[in-house]
Amino acid sequence: MTTIPDSLADNRVVRREALHFAVRNGKLVIGFAIVLVLLLIGALGPVLLGVDAPNEYVAGPMLPPSAEHWFGTTTFGQDVFTQFVHGTRTTFVVGALGGGIAAVIAMVVGFTAGYRGGLVDEVLNMFTNIVLVIPTLAVLLIVNAYLGIRSVAVQALFIGLTSWPWAARAIRAQTFSLRTRDFVDLARLSGMNTRRVIVREIAPNMSSYLFMTFILLFGGSILIASSLDFIGLGPTEGVSLGLMLQNATQWSALQLGLWWWFIPPGAAITAIVGALYVANVGLDEVFNPKLRQR
Amino acid sequence: MRQYFGRKLLVYALTFVVAVTVNWMIPRFMPGDPVSGMLARAGVSQPAAVEAMRLYYTSLFGFDQPLWKQYVNFWSALLRGDFGISIWLFPTPVSTVILRAVPYTLGLMIPAVLLSWVIGNRLGAYAARRKLLDNTILPAGYILTAMPYMWLAVILAWGLGVVAGWFPVAGGYSFSLQPSWSADFVLDLLHHWVLPFLSLFLVALGGWAIGMRNMIIYELESDYSTYLAALGAPSRLIRRYAFRNAVLPQITGLALQLGVLVAGALVTEIVFSYPGLGSLILKAIQNQDFFLLQGTFMFIVIGVLVANFVIDLVYVVVDPRTRAGMAGGRP
Amino acid sequence: MRKRARILIPLLAAAMAAAACSSGGPTPAPQGSQGANPPAANPGNPGSLPRNETLYTTGTQWGPPANFNPIREWDYATGTKGLVYETLFHYDPNTAKLTPWLAESGAWTSDTVYDAKLRAGVKWADGKPLTAKDVAFSYSLGKMETVPFHNIWDWLKSVEAVDDQTVRFTFSKANYQEWDFNLYSRVIVPEHVWTGRSEEDVLNGVNENPVGTGAYRYQSHDQDRVVWVKRDDWWGKAALGVEPKPRYIVDVATPSNEVAMGMLLQKGLDLSNNFLPGVANLIKGNFGITSFYNEPPYMLSANTAWLVPNTRKKPMDDPAFRKALATSVDTKKIVEGVYGNLVKASSPTGLLPQWDQFVDQGVVGGSGFSFDTAKAKKALADAGYRDRDGDGLVENKDGSKIDLTLMVPTGWTDWMEAARAISTSAKAAGINVTPDFPDFNALVEKRGKGDFDLLINNERQLSNTPWTYYDYIFQLPIQKTQNTVNFGRYENKKAWSLVQQLDQVKTDDIEGMKKVISQLQQIHLDEMPIIPLWYNGLWAQSSVSVWKNWPSSAQGAPKSAPAMWRNWMELGGFETLTQLQPAAS
Repeated sequence: MTTIPDSLADNRVVRREALHFAVRNGKLVIGFAIVLVLLLIGALGPVLLGVDAPNEYVAGPMLPPSAEHWFGTTTFGQDVFTQFVHGTRTTFVVGALGGGIAAVIAMVVGFTAGYRGGLVDEVLNMFTNIVLVIPTLAVLLIVNAYLGIRSVAVQALFIGLTSWPWAARAIRAQTFSLRTRDFVDLARLSGMNTRRVIVREIAPNMSSYLFMTFILLFGGSILIASSLDFIGLGPTEGVSLGLMLQNATQWSALQLGLWWWFIPPGAAITAIVGALYVANVGLDEVFNPKLRQR
Repeated sequence: MRQYFGRKLLVYALTFVVAVTVNWMIPRFMPGDPVSGMLARAGVSQPAAVEAMRLYYTSLFGFDQPLWKQYVNFWSALLRGDFGISIWLFPTPVSTVILRAVPYTLGLMIPAVLLSWVIGNRLGAYAARRKLLDNTILPAGYILTAMPYMWLAVILAWGLGVVAGWFPVAGGYSFSLQPSWSADFVLDLLHHWVLPFLSLFLVALGGWAIGMRNMIIYELESDYSTYLAALGAPSRLIRRYAFRNAVLPQITGLALQLGVLVAGALVTEIVFSYPGLGSLILKAIQNQDFFLLQGTFMFIVIGVLVANFVIDLVYVVVDPRTRAGMAGGRP
Repeated sequence: MRKRARILIPLLAAAMAAAACSSGGPTPAPQGSQGANPPAANPGNPGSLPRNETLYTTGTQWGPPANFNPIREWDYATGTKGLVYETLFHYDPNTAKLTPWLAESGAWTSDTVYDAKLRAGVKWADGKPLTAKDVAFSYSLGKMETVPFHNIWDWLKSVEAVDDQTVRFTFSKANYQEWDFNLYSRVIVPEHVWTGRSEEDVLNGVNENPVGTGAYRYQSHDQDRVVWVKRDDWWGKAALGVEPKPRYIVDVATPSNEVAMGMLLQKGLDLSNNFLPGVANLIKGNFGITSFYNEPPYMLSANTAWLVPNTRKKPMDDPAFRKALATSVDTKKIVEGVYGNLVKASSPTGLLPQWDQFVDQGVVGGSGFSFDTAKAKKALADAGYRDRDGDGLVENKDGSKIDLTLMVPTGWTDWMEAARAISTSAKAAGINVTPDFPDFNALVEKRGKGDFDLLINNERQLSNTPWTYYDYIFQLPIQKTQNTVNFGRYENKKAWSLVQQLDQVKTDDIEGMKKVISQLQQIHLDEMPIIPLWYNGLWAQSSVSVWKNWPSSAQGAPKSAPAMWRNWMELGGFETLTQLQPAAS
């Protein structure tokens, strides 16, 4: 999807330059601002509200938004805003965990395949392609359906285990182009082992690319998790934005006019994922000098 | 070229084997016993009758054989196109159940995927050309592609279905009709098809438009474009080249996105009770019908493999480099 | 590429149409005597059912109609029993009387012999007359071990056709209560069609083109529906003077809550027999949707939801603990919060409102329970369950922690919410209860083996006799797997012998029944083997846009049960169909 800048001049200059352009890139600033606001809501909201149990019935049922209940209440009299705040937190956790696990696997596979080449590459590539082609949601459905215990962590783990292939492929391609560079040869000649070459030389030179990959994986995990939640394969305890959507749908929120129950969780997912994508394009422009002219 | 296809086919064959094995393994580790579930639903309390029924179903489903034999049986049955008997819809064969649902899913997916791809690419290309379009299409595209499928689907169902009353909210065709070749029936079918199609189409559309827009900007900034421009080539020509080059990764992208699109279709079908594979999967999960689950999964895998292969073919036709045999190192 | 896309859509539409056409299943040839297909009101499209003659129902079938086999009482296509196959009697819960149906009358000629007299002139859909032999044949199917009603042959000795219209049942033990239940529950199938079917066919056969005596016959089905069409030569028109009004009945496989509600609002459904959360809002609003009552609880009561403790496990083996647990449950919160008043809190006995006359108020007054956290706390302390480590939760008598799991199948949203509510209120009283949502099959397996702490269950419907209710609670002996009753594995020989004694009280001996039931109530409330919580509704919301005169509490309206549920057609569901009127008239 993106390529890293061809010129790999002095890292520090690039970074200083990147920061200079970053603060001036509207997409990046807006994207991260939205994510940050929602992140803060998810991180601090539960603490500030001081409610541990977002699924408690705290007020009258089906109340529209008011000063007391910002997002109104559900059919049962749960406070939608409290659920929203807790749900946002869960959703970020799933995104970060799932995206993180996928990124780690993608990096391990991508670096190894790209750097080692040969048979290792062949085998890993084959493996990647297999996981890539298998429709992951179908696998997730099956696995989830058979697993009795479903927690946020397990859900994130499975998302991570199935959503890495495209990233691994992209990282592999990048590594492939880097490994023939002089500085990599130099490091190898000086006797560094494979792992060190990758960690010290290759990875830092594509850090921006890795970061962007992580952002996309993060957003993807959130969407997959919300789909799973919606089908009823979400965590059995607690609340997430996807579970809120599922509940709102199952209890006919829109038909009964409770739009305040159904709209916020979906809007928040859209906002988080959309903002991440926008920020990703912004980052691309920052790191890729050629795109800056626009 | 032969090597290119040989490699691809090997990957697909291996994928198939892995998928089949995974498929066979998972249900055997699941909690709960489908036969017990069936007996409980049958509401039989006589111990003798329970035992008789248990024995009967266990041997019917082949649970009493050694594992390796079950695995071999699984393969041989699969190759015969026999996916077993649905527990939920006992005694309908799984293949019958699936074949009934497949046309709906394909009828939803193929137009949604192709149209969104074609129109999305067009929009993206326009967006890359004009600032005004860029400023409108881009944000809209981001919002659409970031939407959870079911959220958009439920909003459409409610807005255009319940409130406006323009479209039905559920089913594949009216409950008052019986399948026939009449114009009424086909129109009715299309009427029911619009909303699920629309929600799939819109979400996918955003993604393609953005991808294309970014890709074209890359191409326009690339060396050959600059060079062409320096030579004084008309900008239309440059754009055409850029578009051609940008389409290639979009085709690869289509292959990469297939899994996500399938997922989207499944969720959308569930929202609209559309009688396709997605609704089947949900029912199979809810009823612990693992033969049906296995069957649908196998069917999706085969579908995705075929689609991938078609995309490979298209790629070869479109990209001269693959034709020239430079396939080796490229993914 | 654009051009290709343009032609693609019509092509696909055609492919889908082809698939839909071919998936309708075999359309049966018009059967024998009733001649040609009914005239279609819409000549432009012979496939289309006229809206004003069609009744759309949902809420019974949870998947595609898989078979038309009335022996498969748990998954036959909705209407197989009731619309096509009929029973000897119906039962009217309002008058608590059996209504003669295929049988004109029936009577005990001695203590152990029951004679049923069939109506003359009843014909099968293929034109052959119904005879006593068909009845004898149908009941004899139960001799097969795997047939669900096999157990009647434990006490039924023989069934024989005395003449064409008379069937004689001879019993080794006369279980009068259970027998009445069987009279309106067992379908009569035609011997000339069914004879020679193997046990496997009887149990698992699809039974395409069902031939019954009922008012409807099969027209077509697809994955999400089954269509029945009225028989013009149904015997009941002459013999009973009634006739179901809809020419077509389309039963739609139950969609999800919100879809069903959307269809009701779009006037695409006439009767929805599934639980629609929040439907009270629509009933009160001006949406043309009605239910039996227009105020809480909106629905008739159909069954009791119980909290079932596993009486083989500590501390649930202690009646004092069970009683304290019962006191700790805030049923009001479930009724109002979870159900939005669509259900009713149950009486401590759990006996349905229709059985009110059997509730012994003296026993309830002395031994009943009601929600009271303070009382629950005190009861726990008195029984020796105290909080020793100061976490607000009580421990076992031996000091070990109490950590109970309450199982509810995942996806059963209302019960999941109810389980959460129970957990919260039990914790408030100091009992640590955690909700757990396993998949249904996993739950069934654990439930059968007795591998659980607490669960919610409601698997006994309203019937002709509280005997079915107490049979559920007290049935002995405990099997290795308990499939249908007494999941809590409660053993009380005295209670079980009382239940059997109740079974043998004649059904018109109300006083005799009351006497036994009152003793059973005393045991139930003292021992609390099962904790009644609320009465689940006979979910029924109907649209008045096409059909009117739905059963309701209003004056002059029919009072029958508006339900297409399995086994409810004989409890008033069919009678409801005969009362409907086109809204246009």
